[in-house]
Amino acid sequence: MTPSRDEIKRRLEHAMELLREFYEGRHRGALARSRRDEDDLFMLLVLSESMGIPNPASYYTLELLPLVMDRFHEWHLRMGMEHSPLDGFRCC
Amino acid sequence: MTRSVFPGSLLASDGPRILFVGGKGGVGKTTTASALALELARAGRRCLLVSTDPAHSLGDIFGVELTATPRKLRGGLHALELDPDRQVVRYLDQVRENMQGLVRPAMYHEIERQLELSRQAPGAVEAATMDRISQLMADTVRRPRGEGDWDVLVFDTAPTGHTLRLLSLPEIMAAWTDGLLRTRQRSDAWGRALERLSGGRAAEAPGEGDELSYIDQVEEGGGHQDARSRRIREVLLERRRKFTRARRLLLDPAVTAFIWVLIPEKLPILESEKAIRTLDEHRVPVAGMVVNRVLPRGDLGAFLESRRAQEEEYLARIRKHFSRIPRIQVPLLARDVEGMETLEQVGRILMGGERGSPPPG
Ligand SMILES: Nc1ncnc2c1ncn2[C@@H]1O[C@H](COP(=O)(O)OP(=O)(O)OP(=O)(O)O)[C@@H](O)[C@H]1O
Ligand SMILES: [Mg+2]
Repeated sequence: MTPSRDEIKRRLEHAMELLREFYEGRHRGALARSRRDEDDLFMLLVLSESMGIPNPASYYTLELLPLVMDRFHEWHLRMGMEHSPLDGFRCC
Repeated sequence: MTRSVFPGSLLASDGPRILFVGGKGGVGKTTTASALALELARAGRRCLLVSTDPAHSLGDIFGVELTATPRKLRGGLHALELDPDRQVVRYLDQVRENMQGLVRPAMYHEIERQLELSRQAPGAVEAATMDRISQLMADTVRRPRGEGDWDVLVFDTAPTGHTLRLLSLPEIMAAWTDGLLRTRQRSDAWGRALERLSGGRAAEAPGEGDELSYIDQVEEGGGHQDARSRRIREVLLERRRKFTRARRLLLDPAVTAFIWVLIPEKLPILESEKAIRTLDEHRVPVAGMVVNRVLPRGDLGAFLESRRAQEEEYLARIRKHFSRIPRIQVPLLARDVEGMETLEQVGRILMGGERGSPPPG
């Protein structure tokens, strides 16, 4: 039995919905990753002195330190390091 | 004395409100700054004389003990010696205070350790010094002459290198905050794209006030993430505002006059040539030069006459190399400059009001 017009339309819509989710999901992932990379970079810039990279602005990064500490902790866990990899900087 | 040209311009009623006196070690910066400040006070300006040299000697020249709090030296003239260590401690206290509610208490210990470490970090003292200078400059120019605490600030600075680094700080640091702000902007742009894709689901930001109350869960795109981003941006923008303000004031010839002191000797001249080039590069306006310790006229005897011949060569070199910059000469005095009276004498010489000052060369 051939499906009714309505049925075809419903299936098509369903397929489109699936495709959109698939497509958006991928991009959402990419966007979220881009944002995460950017935020990681920022965190690492703020902590550069602790990583042994002399930073002439390190005095001014102090006031940003409390704002990036959580991210540092989350970052090293995400990178598969159970503890802070920085000798000069322990968050856990 | 015309008031539109250096050095009379310094005393004009619409003269610069911020003076920096710089030069190589030992050439007479403290002497010049003090004498100028006395002249300004005599002209009716309420003047604050500030030593930025970590090896302070400003108090010595007046024979008094100075601290980071202004001390009255005479009517219209106060002085202080910056205390960058105290400044650093204050800044760290503020960071500590701001971190309450931002950081899990488990992290307090590490932050405390970082703060302690950074107290001795290179650059901290300079940054703190520049912060204080910027603050003083901003507080002074915010109010019209006659209304604020001070009409004019006179900075007695440390020898060349230190001061040049100090003056370049706002520019370098502004570039640094801009770099950080750009990564924030990119992060925000990704965040916005993400919101559009998700039909605005990640768009909710918490209202003001309840920022960062749920700090323990770290999750991309969450509302607290936005609040944290906003706070970071605020901190950075406030910093940048301060750097650009300092820079604007430093570079404005209507506000700031940099006075360069040198002596007619080989190394000070070489160093001055380099320093003036650097100041030019940073577009810091050099208002004039003081050529200090020039051998006085009159019969000096054979030995000093031969010195004078040598000095004449150096003076010629100064004339040639710094032809664009107005100069005044101050003769070598028979004794060290100490105490109000001698300083007043130097002040009069500087302003061209006393004979014995050779004409501008
Ligand atoms: N015209 C002058 N005649 C005689 N002595 C002078 C003259 N100018 C300065 N001096 C003396 O030279 C010495 C150095 O002067 P001063 O402290 O003003 O220099 P400075 O550039 O501030 O030094 P520093 O780099 O150490 O801060 C002082 O003992 C001062 O009294
Ligand atoms: Mg000095």
